[in-house]
Amino acid sequence: MDYVIQQVLNALSFGAEYALIALGLAIVFSIMGLVNFAHGEVIAFGGYSMIIVATLLTANPWVLMIGVLAFCVLASVVLERVAFRTVRRADLTTGLLTAFGVSIVLQNLFLLLGSPRPMAATQFIFLDQTLTLGNIRVSSLQIYETGATIIAIGLLMLFLRKTTLGVAMRAAALDFEMVRLCGIRANRVIAGAFAISGLLAGLACIFIMARRGSVAPHMGFDPVLTAFVACVIGGFGSLPGAVLGGFLLGITEVAVLVLLPQSYGGMAQAAVFTLVALILIWRPDGILSPALDKGDKI
Amino acid sequence: MNWSLNKSQRDGLIGSAVLSLIILALVGAYYIWGESYQARILYATFVNLLVVVGLQVFMGNANITSFSHSAFMGIAAYVAAICVTPAAMKAISLPLAPWGLNAFELSPIVSALLALGITGVLGLLTGLFIARLTGVGVTIVSIAILVIVHSIFLHRTDIFKGNQAFFGIPKIFDLPHITILVIVAIFVARLFRESALGVQLRACADDEVGARAMGVNVYRIRLIAWVVGTLFFATAGIAYAFFLGTISARPFYFNFVFLTVAMLILGGLRSVTGAVFGTLLITIGLEIVRWLETGPTLLSIKLPQMLGLSGLLLGVVIVAVMAFLPNGIMGNSEIEEVLKRKT
Repeated sequence: MDYVIQQVLNALSFGAEYALIALGLAIVFSIMGLVNFAHGEVIAFGGYSMIIVATLLTANPWVLMIGVLAFCVLASVVLERVAFRTVRRADLTTGLLTAFGVSIVLQNLFLLLGSPRPMAATQFIFLDQTLTLGNIRVSSLQIYETGATIIAIGLLMLFLRKTTLGVAMRAAALDFEMVRLCGIRANRVIAGAFAISGLLAGLACIFIMARRGSVAPHMGFDPVLTAFVACVIGGFGSLPGAVLGGFLLGITEVAVLVLLPQSYGGMAQAAVFTLVALILIWRPDGILSPALDKGDKI
Repeated sequence: MNWSLNKSQRDGLIGSAVLSLIILALVGAYYIWGESYQARILYATFVNLLVVVGLQVFMGNANITSFSHSAFMGIAAYVAAICVTPAAMKAISLPLAPWGLNAFELSPIVSALLALGITGVLGLLTGLFIARLTGVGVTIVSIAILVIVHSIFLHRTDIFKGNQAFFGIPKIFDLPHITILVIVAIFVARLFRESALGVQLRACADDEVGARAMGVNVYRIRLIAWVVGTLFFATAGIAYAFFLGTISARPFYFNFVFLTVAMLILGGLRSVTGAVFGTLLITIGLEIVRWLETGPTLLSIKLPQMLGLSGLLLGVVIVAVMAFLPNGIMGNSEIEEVLKRKT
């Protein structure tokens, strides 16, 4: 029984992490049709900002968390201004290649200015403790992660439904020109989307750092690749789809690890990507996304 | 079948001949002035050139981005390497290989043909699915192919050695061989572009509905172009394995994909000339930057060692080209058109 609960929690926390990152990708995609592969480097930047703040200012973990969130939002908005504004009207492929380019530039900047080796940043590790509930032993980090993701999704939903900017962002996903005709500034909507995406990246960064305890130039690439897959499964640009896809992937990954013999552990990623290819061939627009509703929000 | 060439095909022959002369001039310059370490650089450039020209066949003509080319290159390289390496050597380098893979050896020609055949069949199988999808769907499935193949390379260490080197491959190719391959590749790619298939493929890229209305079988020509492209990648993979003597899984992943895609889009993906120029320009740029990276002494100032500079340059090139020069240097024009306009 506790084994089952343990694995369910594993799947939930993996899923929560993927869902957080996938949401960050989906919110930008729904509005400007950009697959933002540089999202992973925003996460890595959050990790480096931890080191900077901790050396220059204070190593208090709560201040550091706020710092990480702020730096990720800043990085995301700056990237939009510097790199993605010029390709706003371009087609999907151009945007995708630009995002890959930005991602390579940032990775190498981290390499050049930081270090090619992982740098220790252990201030968040205290989040990861083993709790004993009855006779079940669970990691506190997994509970925080699942909880924080659910709260973040709830707040995001409130924001998108109750505020003007949120409503404008939902409308922009359907018909950007119409939103502009209604007198909403395009730049503000897009900057808003990138800011939210940065905030979600910051949240993901905190949990990733709590698990790894170190930051490396390439650490954002693999999580974003997986989150990208989650978006594809759920239907790109659909926020519920991103969340669903994230949790589905978490479950698949844990299932592959549990069900297949140990020696096939390395094949988890191959299994996940095979799944994606099959889903795309079966339903080219993703599971949750009948072509018309693509980009519809929560 | 009408074998006489139309005007654009005759122009294509001229253009390919001009590009071949440039390639020959490079090789000639190496033989006259070059130092021996530059042979390696030139060989690597030509392997990249094979890949980029092959990318142009599908990605350029169909205007669909795909990222799976280094996977196909890796498959061909491993097949060729496993077939051609002497059994005595494989007993050391692949002691645990299943299915008697380490107990046979084939001649280089048979190995190369087998590698081409296997990669071509895999290209056909994936192409059956790829050709159905459009736009970004192709890109995503091609990323999936890349990741799946890479995981298999890493997982089956008994066959592929994963991130360790598979060593002991005899050195079969040298500069003259790859020069011939590159020149043949340029001619084939250019003639494909000007053939009826190439024209139809470019028509679908510009207006898919219009092309269908004119009776173009989009599925069929995309499939053909995809398979032709994989054969180019297979050739590059074989040439890679036959020269270096050791291969590992690491080079056949995202870094190489980005390098070659950057080369293609810098030159302009719609023309073969663009593919060639993009490759040469980025190679020259990277060589200069790699030299800066090691921290040389310049005008009696010792520069610091700067790791990551070459990657930085590559990323900046991709971003800048996408933002300011979306059609690349050559745009839609080939070399003979540019030369004619000048004169």
